[in-house]
Amino acid sequence: MPSSISRSDAHEDEVRGVREGALPAGLRKTAANRPGQAQPVPTRDIPLQPWARLALFVAVAVTLLTTGWEVEMRRQGLHAGDIDDSPQAWAEQRRAGSTAAVAIVGDSRILFDTNLDRFQALTGIRPIQTAIVGTNARALLENYANDPKFKGLLIVGLADVGYFRPDGIGFGGAYMHAFEKNGKPAQVTGLWIDRWLQQYFAFMDSDYRLSLMLPRFDHGWRSGADSPYEDVWKISETYADRQYAMWDRIESGGYLRDHARHAWGGFKGPKVPPAIIAKVVARSAEAVRRIRARGGEVIFIRPPSAPELRVNEDQRLPRSRGWDALLAGTHARGIHADDLPQAQNLVIPEWSHLSRRCATVFTDAYVRRLVQLTNRLKLRADAPPPLSRADCVPRAIAMNK
Amino acid sequence: MIFNSLTFLVFFAIVLALHYAPFFSWHQKKINLLIASYLFYAAWNPPFVALLWISTVVDWWAAQWMVRARRERTRKLWMLTSVVVNLGMLGYFKYGGFLLANFVAVAGSLGIVYHPPGWDIVLPVGISFYTFATLSYTLDVYLRRSAPAGSFLNYALFVTFFPHLVAGPIMRPTELVPQFEQPRQAKPDQIGFGLALLTLGLFQKVVLADGFLAPVVEAVYDAHGKLPGMLDSWVATFAFAGQIFCDFAGYSTSAIGVALCMGFAMPDNFRFPYGAVGFSDFWRRWHITLSSWLRDYLYIPLGGNRHGRARTYAALMGTMLLGGLWHGANWTFVVWGGLHGVYLSVERWLKQRFKGFTPGRASILGLALLTFLLVNVTWVFFRAKTFAGAGVVLKGMAGMQVKPEPLIAAGPMIIAMVIVSGIFGTHLTMRDTTLERVIERTPAVAIASIWALLLFAVIIEQGQGNAFIYFAF
Repeated sequence: MPSSISRSDAHEDEVRGVREGALPAGLRKTAANRPGQAQPVPTRDIPLQPWARLALFVAVAVTLLTTGWEVEMRRQGLHAGDIDDSPQAWAEQRRAGSTAAVAIVGDSRILFDTNLDRFQALTGIRPIQTAIVGTNARALLENYANDPKFKGLLIVGLADVGYFRPDGIGFGGAYMHAFEKNGKPAQVTGLWIDRWLQQYFAFMDSDYRLSLMLPRFDHGWRSGADSPYEDVWKISETYADRQYAMWDRIESGGYLRDHARHAWGGFKGPKVPPAIIAKVVARSAEAVRRIRARGGEVIFIRPPSAPELRVNEDQRLPRSRGWDALLAGTHARGIHADDLPQAQNLVIPEWSHLSRRCATVFTDAYVRRLVQLTNRLKLRADAPPPLSRADCVPRAIAMNK
Repeated sequence: MIFNSLTFLVFFAIVLALHYAPFFSWHQKKINLLIASYLFYAAWNPPFVALLWISTVVDWWAAQWMVRARRERTRKLWMLTSVVVNLGMLGYFKYGGFLLANFVAVAGSLGIVYHPPGWDIVLPVGISFYTFATLSYTLDVYLRRSAPAGSFLNYALFVTFFPHLVAGPIMRPTELVPQFEQPRQAKPDQIGFGLALLTLGLFQKVVLADGFLAPVVEAVYDAHGKLPGMLDSWVATFAFAGQIFCDFAGYSTSAIGVALCMGFAMPDNFRFPYGAVGFSDFWRRWHITLSSWLRDYLYIPLGGNRHGRARTYAALMGTMLLGGLWHGANWTFVVWGGLHGVYLSVERWLKQRFKGFTPGRASILGLALLTFLLVNVTWVFFRAKTFAGAGVVLKGMAGMQVKPEPLIAAGPMIIAMVIVSGIFGTHLTMRDTTLERVIERTPAVAIASIWALLLFAVIIEQGQGNAFIYFAF
């Protein structure tokens, strides 16, 4: 009779299972030592150590170390309740975006510069925020154009030179690619637990992971290689519904704000060739056409950037060749920050995104213009009064301007 | 769900609570484990649980009818039914698109233009692993190596037992089913050591593989047209050697630790493989449960070394080529397996040619280093998504790139090389012992301190919940 998979029939020395004490290596055999036969119950040695006491020591030590780390991270300016953004959080919003009355896509500027509470207070509608940092807004526009369920108003926020790129989606590529996967039960429950923990622990910040912090000591030691120092470090905090806001350590100045400004590299680069502009406009027009064909609508928004970046952005792609061509080519309406009197000279701490308070002012300004451009949104009768630059610019800065 | 996720921690805490609850019978606890295992799998994609059920039911009945069959032909028929159903599912989900693409390419080369509809099939997680696990059941019964399991519950739990379900170790029924026959409860020491192994596995995966090594690999292998020089190509490939080991061995170590916490023993899947001297030694140390599966159910049935030299080499190459294909539906994996087949064949020939050669200490070190370097060459085909991509890195490794660009920053490069050197050095020094022996001889204070630091590193690294590389296989 063949060896059975019943324990009682097997050789006793093959049915060790879990064993106290470590066997010498030569005695602990693996399947590699037993060719062409039924493999017995494996042997798992338990090294002779006081494991229960060790586990207790580890529990205490790790609690102390983690507490110390939490204190240090709070000292570094991290806050509990900053729940971080993630592809899973985006997927959650994107699913809601399919049937939303108003959804927002774009890059980090519209993400930082839109205050969802203010939008809702003015219109009664809370938009679904599906913009992604470092992402070509056109790819996200096409993502909605490919969604047969979407029939609402799509606000497309863009930074011109980021939008007028022929190919490449940026960080959002991974978000969109993993959209289906990130709706599966394992991902959704992981998101819930992660958010719950982040309500209490400041150190759980994806920008302050060990493997990201350690290489930052390399300030470009190897010429020509993309050093971690050149990456964009933490500049934002994230709250429910993917509400981004400028991190207060960036607003308050110092080393981190200087680094953030450095990381943008002035938005320098080559001029955008006419052929690419034509290609981008054509693809945008097709996406807009498809959304409109389903009864939806698209409105573009160009949030502000600081003069230090704007000069280079304009040099690469002047408004007349980029923004104006886009609106003309898509027959869509748009709101340019330059055209909003209430949105001039706002505080842009690291030159690319508005300060937390000025984001609310900018939102107030663009939403009031938005309701004039579309009948899908109306200003509530009990809408709060308009905001102005004075509501967000510190007095000392305002007096210097 | 994956071990390196918060969801798993909650899941595992509940499973442990149910496993040690005094009011459940052993039979009920096994049912609890079975349900938990289905939930574990369904967390990825609930409909694919049906594939597990099909595999379980078909193989259970195939084995039952095989035993009852009076004629050899009938036995064979039931064995073939099991093989066809299991490999059919694997082929459809994993290789369907690959076969279609190759068919189109061959037709195109003959001047036949064929545009098939898109093959947009999602690969069920771990299908290669549980297919091999269940196949070993019917094949062992057919080969009369073992009798069928006595209980359907024990057999179903063997197939779905969540620690090994999606990425191994690939267990044989004879290794696990007997463990379900009597109540299993781990002692405090076993739970303690199990948790230590889980910590070690998570450290390997979360901190080393995903945190420090993966970005260095991606800087070169996903460089999108930029050409790496010699330094970058070698560093990225070494980093991948470290990443794939920490990723996969990390999973196996975690799985062993998780099972141990419940009182179950799982087999070793890795034995310090980068300390191997030669390629047969490497395959006795790397993914042991797969290499032994291929040996027992492919190499030996193909004739093994029983039918002369030529047939032995053919069996070896056939086994390694198919072993490569098992890893993924891409010719790059076949080449990876083929290279290992060539290495093994050459080694076999050299061993016969220099029978009396006994290496000294220096020779062993040199041969281990040579083995490691040659294994790294194969990793290029494993990691690169295309032959063109592999060609770029190989050209870089050979120093033949005309205008290479520096792709890896100094900081991450130094960290990666420290980690990989540490892995290589550890494997070399521990090649003749076991982790358990080393732990037993180390002072408790040192063990506790290292364990605490590893766990602390896992916590502050946080992890992004990245899937294990082998989940895609």
